Amino acid sequence: MSSALGWWVVILAVGALNYLSRLSFIALFAHIEMPTFVARALRFVPAAMLTAIVVPAVVFVAPETLAFSYTNPKLVAALVAWAVAWRTGNAMATMGVGMATLWLAQWLLPAGVT
Amino acid sequence: MTPPLVGLVPFGLVCGVGAQAAGASVFEAFGMSALMFSGAAQILAAQLIAAGAPVAVTILTCFVLGLRFLMYSAAMAPHLKPLPPRWRHALAFVLNDQAFAAGIRRFRGSGDKRNGASYFLGTGALLWTTWQLSCFAGYWAGNFIPAAWSLDFVVPLCFLALLVPALEDHPMRVAALAAGVAVVALDALPMRLSLVCAGLVGIAAGMLAESRRGAR
Repeated sequence: MSSALGWWVVILAVGALNYLSRLSFIALFAHIEMPTFVARALRFVPAAMLTAIVVPAVVFVAPETLAFSYTNPKLVAALVAWAVAWRTGNAMATMGVGMATLWLAQWLLPAGVT
Repeated sequence: MTPPLVGLVPFGLVCGVGAQAAGASVFEAFGMSALMFSGAAQILAAQLIAAGAPVAVTILTCFVLGLRFLMYSAAMAPHLKPLPPRWRHALAFVLNDQAFAAGIRRFRGSGDKRNGASYFLGTGALLWTTWQLSCFAGYWAGNFIPAAWSLDFVVPLCFLALLVPALEDHPMRVAALAAGVAVVALDALPMRLSLVCAGLVGIAAGMLAESRRGAR
């Protein structure tokens, strides 16, 4: 298979699969009633999935290398950002303070793990 | 609305750089950002193709990574039910991580479905357009941004900003904690299965905490 053809097969297949995954239950539950059990479970989707996305981006400093230490600038920045989000509820402030803390921690810990 | 948008730009830049580094033509790079519309899938696909992985493996891996969209779809379903089918079909197309996080908050905050849907569609269209521009910018110029700036860290920070306000009660915090522990513990699973498995673990833990609290 030529390289360009390979790219387009992947693009079209993954594009279609992503769309069908996104449409799946939106289409299904438009026609049938959603079981109460499912409705109860769905309440937790944002909290569970957002955490599952955030945590690896913060605690892994390299593939398969965990760093639960103050020498991990990303962990320090995430904890400070967490506090800002908790106290202010302001997303822009959370992102701004988080990035500023990351840069500060990287600068203060030049020999640290990055 | 603004936070997901701000988080999307550096993520798009990173994806553009990834596509360029993997040897994609500009059309292939645009095809990825326009049709996949998922930064994680685009980066993964580009990496696998560059590494010479078979097409079928690449597709399967990206599909597994996209299983979380099933959960987003189910969580959005009750809010989109009152809408005409073509609205639902259009809204499904833009349902990526950022659009879900921003949209679900709006739906839960307001009882007005039509208003929420307009907001979601507007948000989705804006996110999609911003995404194309960011990926393009990354493809052409991303290599000029020093890696030491760690701009891609805005992505988890954006999700963190959306996550913290969602932790309003005890079961919700249990769900988040369980998902966080699980995603690290299951990191060795192939095809990034850890992501969707951790999501399911979190949901189960949250439901368990809720029923225990209800029983007391």
